[in-house]
Amino acid sequence: MSTLLSTLIMGLSLGAIYSLMAVALILVWRSTRVVNFAQAGQAVLSTYIGLEIHRMTGSYWLAILLSIIFGGVLGGLIDLALVRPLLRRAGSGPEAAVAPVIATLGLLAVLQGVSGMLWGGELINFPSAFSTAGLSIGGSKIPFSAFDLFTVGASLAVMLAFSFIFQRTGLGLSMRAAAFSPEVAQLAGVRTGRVRTIGWSFAGAAGGLAGVLITPTTFLAPNSLDLLLVFGFTAAVVGGLESMIGGALGGLALGFGLALVLQYAGSSYTFMTAFVVLLAVLLLRPQGLIGKRSGRRV
Amino acid sequence: MVDVSKRPLHFLSRIPRPVRVLIGIAIAAFAWVLMGDRVSEFRITQGSMVAAYALAIISIVMLTGYSGQVSLGHGSFLAVGAYACALFLVNLHWPIWLTFFISVIAAAIVGAIVGIAAARLSGPYLAGTTLAFAVGVPSISGLVNILGGEQGISWDAAEQYGPPSRYGDPYMFLNKWVYWICGAALILGIALAVNITKSRYGRIWRAVRADESAAALAGINVARSKILAFAVSAGFAGFAGAILSVTLSSVAPSTFGLSLSFLILTGAVIGGIRSIYGAIVGALALVILPMLSDMIASNASESIHTNLPGVITGVLLVLTVLFNPGGTAAAFNHLAHGLRSKGRRSSH
Repeated sequence: MSTLLSTLIMGLSLGAIYSLMAVALILVWRSTRVVNFAQAGQAVLSTYIGLEIHRMTGSYWLAILLSIIFGGVLGGLIDLALVRPLLRRAGSGPEAAVAPVIATLGLLAVLQGVSGMLWGGELINFPSAFSTAGLSIGGSKIPFSAFDLFTVGASLAVMLAFSFIFQRTGLGLSMRAAAFSPEVAQLAGVRTGRVRTIGWSFAGAAGGLAGVLITPTTFLAPNSLDLLLVFGFTAAVVGGLESMIGGALGGLALGFGLALVLQYAGSSYTFMTAFVVLLAVLLLRPQGLIGKRSGRRV
Repeated sequence: MVDVSKRPLHFLSRIPRPVRVLIGIAIAAFAWVLMGDRVSEFRITQGSMVAAYALAIISIVMLTGYSGQVSLGHGSFLAVGAYACALFLVNLHWPIWLTFFISVIAAAIVGAIVGIAAARLSGPYLAGTTLAFAVGVPSISGLVNILGGEQGISWDAAEQYGPPSRYGDPYMFLNKWVYWICGAALILGIALAVNITKSRYGRIWRAVRADESAAALAGINVARSKILAFAVSAGFAGFAGAILSVTLSSVAPSTFGLSLSFLILTGAVIGGIRSIYGAIVGALALVILPMLSDMIASNASESIHTNLPGVITGVLLVLTVLFNPGGTAAAFNHLAHGLRSKGRRSSH
């Protein structure tokens, strides 16, 4: 098998996880106009909860399910307890411009600190339901394990579920309306506050799943998902930060790109990749790779 | 107009401004030296850290408070300044004040380059991009041999910039000597920052921050003002990085990770994002908070002990944003204003 092909296959599961994170960030951005930097902390805490469930019950499926549920509940709670008062107090001047950034960064510090208090700072190995060794097809080994297959499948399922909810249900219609124009949606009877809370909890659930899926390959520590946040944000921007499909495709593109960088340039260069990609996209094509050109400012 | 003669200390305004500035600098220098004589060897290094943090926070205040741009990656500009300082100290044995100059220039150049991109971004885009910058820059140390990889570069402070040997054993006196260097740098930095923000450029930055279209209509080149703000701010951050490396007598990529960028931002928010003098309060908070949490958690387990400072600063950040967005400086101004108006009322 050619090196290029196996590198791209390797990027597929990475890309699927970045897509999940990107979709989580986009959900929050569309409903609240806030980039949620605490997403990494929410995901880490949800993953630790899953780990704890796995230790107690030994069931991987229960663990992953409860991680997702906990992520969703936590996301909703954060909206109610922090975002709602923050939006109500929105002032003006430089303080107002940085307020959401500072608030979510503060929350990130709290969530990571609490995770560290409860589970310590050392790297923990998170179990996976499937083997992480490469599958073999026709006698040759490929760098794609059964777990990678599960990762891609689970991400795809979440994306399909989200797009079904958004396109086919009343709730999805309210969410799209609230994102498009909060005032008009409110006039039309959409309870925008509740819709926003639901958006935050969907995002938290997707982040929880992303955390559970990435830890078998990266290990778990309170700040182990910081990079996932940075790459998820990059993927979201590549996709234009507005469209869920764009975010998903952006995640995949970033996964392929990073796998190529890893293979042909070395791991030291991966950290710079996100910055270079972000700059290139924002300066050359600020509407995202698939977005429509409009007067939007970045 | 406020009647100036009603203000407390109004008689000071009769003294010519240059004299006032010199008196202020003299008092600050005296206070810095006096504080250094009152504390132990360990505490004195913390004083040097306060100077480094304060300079870094000033760079955030100029960028965010005056120019209205957000940066989550200022730790990287500290890294540029610190590594520039280290390279010129260790390899070329330049005098320390000259290496400070190099640090400021190097960081300002990098800042100008990032600023060109930043001028076209705003809000979350700028925050996210600078976040990626903060993640990327420390990894460069692994790519370039001269930067010393994960270990970084360390040196003998007494040999490079220790006190003159005629005052006795340079090692006995080293920490206090470094503390004095840091104090001089801090006072110089504050004087410069106050001057810049009160100058034409400070006014331009505030005009752009308040309303870009109005500023452009008034003939201001918006993009150029933003790039200049980024370069000046990065220069201050580079100065802070040089001070930090001089204090630690080493540089390593782990010092300049994401957490340093977040720490500086925390200090700026706690001190007050618009206040140069608030930066000192923020820097003090950054040094005192870990000590405080040390005291609280002295009997707690290892994991609580190491994570308590992060939780405390996180909670403090959220509470500040929700209840006191202007930080300590705004709270202080509010208090002073309240006292003043009360005094005026009672005099009638």
